[in-house]
Amino acid sequence: MVFNSLQFVAFFLVVYGLYRLLPHRPQNWLLLVGSYYFYAAWDWRFLGLLVASTVIDFCCARYIASRQAPRDRKIALLVSISFNVSMLGFFKYFNFFADNLHALFGLVGWRLDFFTLRVLLPIGISFYTFITMSYVIDVYRRHIEPTRNFLDFAVFVAYFPHLVAGPILRASVLLPQIAAARRITREQNIEGAWLIGWGLFKKMFVADNLARVAGAVFAPAGHPSGLEVLLGVYAFAFQIYGDFSGYTDIARGVSKLMGIELNINFRSPYFVRTPQEFWQHWHISLSTWLRDYLFLPLSYAFSRRLDGVRWLGLRDDFWIYAAATMITMLIAGLWHGAAWNFVLWGAYQGLLLVLFTVPWGGRKRKRAGAAARRPFVRALGVLGMFHLTCLGWLIFRARSIAQIGALFGDLAGRFEPSGRVLAALGLPLLFYAGPLVAVHAFEAAHDDFAVVFRWPRIVRYNVYAALIYLIVLFGDFAGAQFIYFQF
Amino acid sequence: MGGDLWSFCRTVKPVTRVRFWTLVGVLVCQFGLFEAALRIEGGSEAAPAFQRLFMSDTRMGYRLRPGARTRFRTASFETDIAINSSGTRDEEIGPKQPGERRIVVLGDSIVLSVQVPLEQTFCKRLEYRLNHDPASAPYRYRVINAGVQGYGPVEDWLFYEHVASRFDADVVLVALFVGNDAIEAADQSWRLRPASAGQTPGSVAVMGTPLRQVPAIAAAWMRRTVRRSMVLQIARLRVRSVTDRFLSGDPGIDRPLTAYLPQAPPDVVRGLAVTRECVSRIAALAGTLGSKTAVVLLPARFQVNDEDFAYLAREVAQHGEVLKRNGATDRFKRALDGLAIPVMDALPPLFDAPRRSETFFEDTVHLTPRGHQIVADALERFLFESQLLPSSGSKAVVNAGR
Repeated sequence: MVFNSLQFVAFFLVVYGLYRLLPHRPQNWLLLVGSYYFYAAWDWRFLGLLVASTVIDFCCARYIASRQAPRDRKIALLVSISFNVSMLGFFKYFNFFADNLHALFGLVGWRLDFFTLRVLLPIGISFYTFITMSYVIDVYRRHIEPTRNFLDFAVFVAYFPHLVAGPILRASVLLPQIAAARRITREQNIEGAWLIGWGLFKKMFVADNLARVAGAVFAPAGHPSGLEVLLGVYAFAFQIYGDFSGYTDIARGVSKLMGIELNINFRSPYFVRTPQEFWQHWHISLSTWLRDYLFLPLSYAFSRRLDGVRWLGLRDDFWIYAAATMITMLIAGLWHGAAWNFVLWGAYQGLLLVLFTVPWGGRKRKRAGAAARRPFVRALGVLGMFHLTCLGWLIFRARSIAQIGALFGDLAGRFEPSGRVLAALGLPLLFYAGPLVAVHAFEAAHDDFAVVFRWPRIVRYNVYAALIYLIVLFGDFAGAQFIYFQF
Repeated sequence: MGGDLWSFCRTVKPVTRVRFWTLVGVLVCQFGLFEAALRIEGGSEAAPAFQRLFMSDTRMGYRLRPGARTRFRTASFETDIAINSSGTRDEEIGPKQPGERRIVVLGDSIVLSVQVPLEQTFCKRLEYRLNHDPASAPYRYRVINAGVQGYGPVEDWLFYEHVASRFDADVVLVALFVGNDAIEAADQSWRLRPASAGQTPGSVAVMGTPLRQVPAIAAAWMRRTVRRSMVLQIARLRVRSVTDRFLSGDPGIDRPLTAYLPQAPPDVVRGLAVTRECVSRIAALAGTLGSKTAVVLLPARFQVNDEDFAYLAREVAQHGEVLKRNGATDRFKRALDGLAIPVMDALPPLFDAPRRSETFFEDTVHLTPRGHQIVADALERFLFESQLLPSSGSKAVVNAGR
């Protein structure tokens, strides 16, 4: 049941209609039943995993909070983390490791025929395991008090707008909203309706149409020219952004209509100038999760081992940052999918983050900092960073390591400008991504991510009308799935 | 009722009323802008120029309008389309001349082929080949393109019964598009019932969909309005595709693709039975008129194109199902088994062709001129080998050599 389907519209209308009629506690029961139904509509067989994860983490958190002895608390934490990581590892990475083990043994002539189990990936497992893990860790760190109400916790984990593709919400944000009675304001209704419309536009008009442009270039049998690769990567950059941020916008919009606020997950990520800024604007809920639960503990661990080292003229704080960043980003890459291109993408992102923290020359750097405030230089910086991001998307989108090599070869060696290619790929790209870029350019220029609501009424009405017409006339109504469901 | 509405309107704050009418004004203005833009640039089947090719018909729902002409332009092609006075995309069909042999090809948009000029369709290419083949002597062949956009087996039968049976054919070829003809046959099977049980008196069919319980005048007005506007036409198609998927029961897999699953759903099974019924009716009527009948199975693009197949197989796999490349083709063959009618499968020649991805257009499911050429070549061989056409000795030798 994808957000852009009539099935979801029917489901939501029923849930929302009842939701508005019921008082607070029955509302939570309704949300739980509705969320489980929503999940079961994908595959009811995996509902058990979701329930098991909910029960185990609820119990672990309660146990941790009830114990003072560090050893007892740590054991409960390990039980929770082991359960979630092993569940994620088995369902998401079993095939990947089995295939690679096959290949490895195949190199020395051995055949391992017993690894033939094909494991299906339960939808949304990467998201809800991270959500429940963060809850238990926060309780362990005494950042939050565990909830005593199992219903509230179960709704927090399974809440359908964020269940299958995030955002990865913290208990400190969502649980209080579930526990307390909700009041739906007029502003929430207006913003919710806008976010749903804008999200559908991003998904149906931008992402699903650009998927065809990108798909043509990344086809396995294709041998595209450099210009085709470049335009195909641009198309994928806007496709994945439109797809994922569109999902988040719809999730936030649906939640607002129910009086629940979800975190912003994207803030015009293609209008930034450094990889650090990119990760502060792209999939914010994942990057902050990784920062809080992986990068900072790793940094702390490395700081004890690398204290005082000075290699290649660089101080220990740089090496601590570099080591923690590389490991974090490799895991971030693997989180996106069990394939080597995702691992490579994670390494590339880590390398970018590390390279952008190298202190290249002191005085020159200050002068460069002053120049960077000029609009033209800023624009160049944004353009440069966009292209670095696109190189990453090439790695991300490719079907194999061999294709990554071939596409880089085409990009560098077969760059032949062609009017035909520009007409076939460039014009659709401009048509489908243009309106999105225009709105985000306004947002970035005003540093205001609700800039649309500040526009004069007549302009807003024109934007609303244009969105409706563009979705109806040019949107993809095939009900394609969201890319991030597979992660 | 009117008074209630008026009193409700009066209770609305003036500022809200102004905002509402401003929004309506913006929507109307943009409607005009999009309508103009689509008419200038966006060639699609929703274009009034294309829709003018069709007229309502109480038996088939709609058909090609006799004498209609248009230039159909999209991003991929531009073609002139002329409909003859018999309602087929062909030259005028006069009385049969001595020594003339006629082949009538029934089917849907793949036969009609608005994407290519008439002379490049497989019908006309076949005609050309037959007339330039020494094996055809002493006959002169006429291959009549009787395909109509959106037709399925039920409409093929009705069109043959009421229109094409007058064409005095020697061979009737029923071209079945295995991609969706089973589904279409299931959906349109109500047309096979007697007129009194089929369409409700006074109802009107809009592109094959009966609008029951809608006053005829309002429905006709609505249809005319929608047909005149590209924006409304596209909106109508969107609504139909979304509701079709919603009503199909399995929202995940597109209905036509279900014909390729290992276990066919009930509507596909029913559609195949209806197809068999329609083909046997065509063969029976053709037999009484002295014509032979054969079936041509035309594949969907993904059956030929590896990339399309891989994409759709992945989509289907997400729902725990397996997409069988030849699933629907094999089903049609089995459904037609026992009718004693020759069947040609166009998949092998298209699949075995060099550069097979170029046999279909990239953005539609239709054949390119190259695809038409391959189908025409295969059809010629099939017609002689299955003895639907009399072959001279030289042809038999050529065929034996293959």
